[in-house]
Amino acid sequence: MSDLLQRFNALPWEAYSQWLVILPAGVMLLAAAAAVALRNLIHAALCLTLSFIALGIIFIALGAEFVGLVQLLVYVGAVAMLIVFAILLTRPSDLAGTKSPFAGIGPVTGILTGAGLLIVLLAFIFKSPLTKVAMPVAPSAPVADIGKLLMNSYIVPLQVIGVLLTSALIGAAVLAMEDKKP
Amino acid sequence: MTLQILLAISSVLFVFGLVAALTRQNAIMVLIGIELMMGAGNLNFIAFWRFSPHSELLTGVMFAIFSIAVAAAEAAVGIAIIILVHRRIKSANVDNADQLKG
Repeated sequence: MSDLLQRFNALPWEAYSQWLVILPAGVMLLAAAAAVALRNLIHAALCLTLSFIALGIIFIALGAEFVGLVQLLVYVGAVAMLIVFAILLTRPSDLAGTKSPFAGIGPVTGILTGAGLLIVLLAFIFKSPLTKVAMPVAPSAPVADIGKLLMNSYIVPLQVIGVLLTSALIGAAVLAMEDKKP
Repeated sequence: MTLQILLAISSVLFVFGLVAALTRQNAIMVLIGIELMMGAGNLNFIAFWRFSPHSELLTGVMFAIFSIAVAAAEAAVGIAIIILVHRRIKSANVDNADQLKG
């Protein structure tokens, strides 16, 4: 077992690091495109989950292991599950859906807006001199340091996030509660 | 691997999310688009942190963690609203939710 681990660690990970980002990025973009385009909502939610898994792998490959694991736990574990639940709870909605008067124009304008934004973003990204910096040596983000920062410099944002999450969950429960009055 | 490639990847992901939020009629698909855009933003935080000269300060990592927490809260409230709207108007189509009256 330890022999296997040694051989695993001896692999030239530095040479692979580029492909550990590029390959998950390709999977992530394909899955995101499928999630946007698929008609079946359950299939779209599953493609979204695959896209989130690939995004977590990219985070881990870029050196932010903690963020990658949090991404897997929160998005793949909780948010994807919430979305699947919502799809199942709102299931018969397709039967009651009326045709929108803008159903023909909506997709065209939306895709044109997206394409325009993509062109502008890519043009500025590839023109910017700031982004020509070389990749520095892999930074490390040890969990112990993240915990110390959360308990020192970031203590106020941490508490605010705690209040936000509590109020959001209470608000969600109150919103989704059945009306008691007839 | 340069910063440009990562930024290009995240802008393509953001545009996919934007197109989903703008064109899909089902409210859940709009929410999926918003989640994709959040993921693109997190990828930008991590990419800039990876290339920053002061990566030991962990600023991008902290921003990504807080952003993930806010995204989780937003997803919970959004899905509660979708379920409530579906109960009122018997439809998850955003075009059908056209009344301010409850």
